[in-house]
Amino acid sequence: MYSPAKLETLAVGDEAPVLTHTLSRTDLVRYAGASGDYNPMHHDEPKALAARQPSVFGHGMLSMGIVGTALTHFVGVGALETFSVRFARQTWPDEVLSTKITVTEISGDLVTLDVRLHNADGEEKVIGQATARLAG
Amino acid sequence: MDEAAVKEFIGTEISRSTVVVERSAIAFFASAVLDDDPVYTNADEASARGFEAIPAPPTFPFVMQNWGAFAELQAEGGQGAGLGMVLGPLMANGGLILHGEQAFVYHQPVLAGQTLTGVGVIKDAYVKESKGTTMTFVVAETTWSDASGAPVVTTTFNIIHRK
Repeated sequence: MYSPAKLETLAVGDEAPVLTHTLSRTDLVRYAGASGDYNPMHHDEPKALAARQPSVFGHGMLSMGIVGTALTHFVGVGALETFSVRFARQTWPDEVLSTKITVTEISGDLVTLDVRLHNADGEEKVIGQATARLAG
Repeated sequence: MDEAAVKEFIGTEISRSTVVVERSAIAFFASAVLDDDPVYTNADEASARGFEAIPAPPTFPFVMQNWGAFAELQAEGGQGAGLGMVLGPLMANGGLILHGEQAFVYHQPVLAGQTLTGVGVIKDAYVKESKGTTMTFVVAETTWSDASGAPVVTTTFNIIHRK
């Protein structure tokens, strides 16, 4: 259902198919349950407001997880060698989040990718890098 | 804590836990990161794609100690003090904890049914002062190994205490 990119047809500058998603509070609750991270800032609106946040906000690792989903659809499950990100900004309910994954280097079968998640205004949420070994 | 006190933590083992990688946990986690790839839910699909069992999504290793760390699997002496050993003294005077960076190095696939042991160590700790704000950085690395002792995945967790 997801066909990984082929090494022989891949070039520096190629971009992975974009994964776009409008973040909901239900997404945050599901990630809290699936990850076991019950920090109330991610599901308890009164506590988030009391902490002077405009609302609940997304787990950083949910942002990285969404990027990971688009990334594995592109390179194939099991192909990743490394995956690292810096968390730049919080994510908020109703934001439209999109992945941006770009091939930056190809050395033999090892492909390096710039990986990002941004909102509809282009504000970057996570910025990172991944490497993967691709089959021909 | 000043920088000298924070640096005392470098090299400290903060966690040691053994987990079973469970199929239902993988399926639930995949849905939470918006991944509908059937490789995470259908054993036949995983097999057809060359996996001995259902594989885990790439960021699952960050959360697996919250799922399958059952009591009878743990070594004598418990699971270590955890990051609380460092964060406790930092948070004693207030402040905010932020997840700054996260990294994974994959050595072999994480698969349902595996029993993995993770050992977490503080790799670095330092303090930066900026505009009246004290930022304390703590870098913890956890290496997960299989029953034979071969490394499976290494996770690096970089947190910031801001006050």
